[in-house]
Amino acid sequence: MPVRLDPRAKLYLLLLSNLTLFLHVSLRAEILLVILLLFLFFLSGKLKSGIRMTIIYSALVGIDFFVIPVAEGLLLNFLSMLSVGIRMMLPCIISGAYAFSTTTVGEMVCGLRKLNVPECIIIPCVTVVRFFPTIAEDYRQIRSAMAFRGIATGNVALLRHPAQSLEYILMPLLMNSNNVAQDLSVAAMTKGISLPGQHTSMIELKMTPFDVLYMLTCTIPFILFLGGVL
Amino acid sequence: MIESINCSFRYQNTETDALKALDIKIATGECIVLCGKSGCGKTTLTRLLNGLIPSFFSGELTGLCSTFGLDPRISAIEDYVPLVGSVFQNPKTQYFNVDTTAELAFPCENAGMSSDVIQKRVTDCAADFGLEHLLHRSIFKLSGGEKQRIAFGAACILHPKLLVLDEPTSNLDYKAIAELHDMIAKKKAEGITIVIAEHRLAWIADLADRFCLFENGMLRGQWNADEFRALPLATLQAMGLRPLCTTQYHQQAIEKSQLPSSGKNPLISAVNLSVGYGKKSPVYDVTHFQICKGEIVGLMGHNGIGKSTLAKTLCGLLKPVSGSITPAKEKERLKNSFMVMQDVNYQLFSDSVREEVMLGATKPELCDQVLSALGLTNLADRHPMSLSGGQKQRVAIASAMLSGKEFIVLDEPTSGLDYYHMTKVAQLLNQLKEQGAAVLVITHDEELAAGWCDRVIYL
Repeated sequence: MPVRLDPRAKLYLLLLSNLTLFLHVSLRAEILLVILLLFLFFLSGKLKSGIRMTIIYSALVGIDFFVIPVAEGLLLNFLSMLSVGIRMMLPCIISGAYAFSTTTVGEMVCGLRKLNVPECIIIPCVTVVRFFPTIAEDYRQIRSAMAFRGIATGNVALLRHPAQSLEYILMPLLMNSNNVAQDLSVAAMTKGISLPGQHTSMIELKMTPFDVLYMLTCTIPFILFLGGVL
Repeated sequence: MIESINCSFRYQNTETDALKALDIKIATGECIVLCGKSGCGKTTLTRLLNGLIPSFFSGELTGLCSTFGLDPRISAIEDYVPLVGSVFQNPKTQYFNVDTTAELAFPCENAGMSSDVIQKRVTDCAADFGLEHLLHRSIFKLSGGEKQRIAFGAACILHPKLLVLDEPTSNLDYKAIAELHDMIAKKKAEGITIVIAEHRLAWIADLADRFCLFENGMLRGQWNADEFRALPLATLQAMGLRPLCTTQYHQQAIEKSQLPSSGKNPLISAVNLSVGYGKKSPVYDVTHFQICKGEIVGLMGHNGIGKSTLAKTLCGLLKPVSGSITPAKEKERLKNSFMVMQDVNYQLFSDSVREEVMLGATKPELCDQVLSALGLTNLADRHPMSLSGGQKQRVAIASAMLSGKEFIVLDEPTSGLDYYHMTKVAQLLNQLKEQGAAVLVITHDEELAAGWCDRVIYL
């Protein structure tokens, strides 16, 4: 049985990993946090992503330990700088990837409602999630239509006339999005999106002791760093 | 019950009334079909009944139109939510959620029901309509028919007294329509009032209690089910309506699928073709296919069976998974093909109709001739996006004619069209044919296939 955290706990971890980035937490504290975060992938049954993230992070830490101390020359120095930059962002990417790949829209909405986030923020979030796949599909359709007209066939041609291509892609995309937006609003209104009063969720979310425990454990490296231990 | 007395409505920024002095009474439990040509006012009436007018579509409303005591001039759209459930035309754009279960739960969540009540409603609704296998699915992976069934379920979830359906079947195949029919029959048996605006009349003929014909915003006539069924086909066609019985067309379409290809020099032919996206998942296999210049071939089959994928492969947009096509090179096929998409909005790029049809044209000297043949001369300087759906489609067909390409594919050109406009499109197909093009029509419309295609291929 895969174990998944409460969306609110995920939100907290995302915040925590952002803090570690902005406050330049020491490498040791960062490694501890990342181990805890990676463990979540394996707990929720996302083995593939877990292994991939582990390999990437270990490689970057390896560069930190073994390459950077002996790095000479401009190019090598630049490359190691880059690797450090990516490594420092990885905690955010890992917690973000975990949050996105294990949370359904329903859970997200329910979590946000429990945090008393107003509907005027929740609804646009849901709409964005709903819209993205549509745009990808629209883009494919428009590219086909352009191919029949002999406009910018193939990816190279897109780059050769960027302004023209942008116009040919954006015009139909925007016009179509406008239609979809109207249809969606109409459908949502007849389903009561504008009803006054507290909106509820079908899914029930409860913070378990495990959620709280995990949040606290993940905070320990951060606190130890602030206290000057790590 | 629903009552409208001397009700008129004019949309903002338009010149004429969309509804004129409408007097109609609909008793509780009645099933009413609103019919008439596109733009006749039937969609406007559905919007009045579910409160979208004037809350969302603003304009000038006079007279009375009450839906179970709600007056659109006083009541807000929210007041209508518990009383009226709505299903719309396009299955792609009436979903607010990414997940089917969430979509069913959505109205209940908005109404502030508690979690266990919502769960019970969703389970009951799924059990009632046999939707269990569709729960917890991504809507992007459902067929049009499945989407429309979920939309109907969501419309019923708050137990409304009135169901309003606006052309719910225009994108559906026969099997999906039959399933939707059974869902509506169930609701009718429960005594729910049902109002359907629809072009295709055959599937609903046994459920309808009354047919209302609209013309230019006015209610032209009303027939009860028996009277309406007794009307001869010619009368229906003169009113611009589709037939009440399509068995004959179904037969003819099947007979046409037995016909061999007429010409000896096929423009495009394929042998042992397997089409799809990627080698692992071929969508459909075709042992033999050919199309010649000067013939109209209908391509029919269920939603999602692979009609579009086959057409895209023949056009050169996709590589075949296996098998051979002549001409073999995708680029060569693409150069000689044009597709008029179901959603023409994707293929309009320019600022004016004239520029649009001249874009990529190889026969620019024919421009005026083609524009006048398609009745677009007066619209030549308009922005394509400002046109109506049918006009946009004609612009796309004009582009196809001027492109000088020989293989023209039309994807569902008559979906959501009344008889009058369907025949107009059919005449355009004939014009393409007379120009010497090979025309492939992807369609669910058996009337079109039977009447105007030279041959039919069933996938």
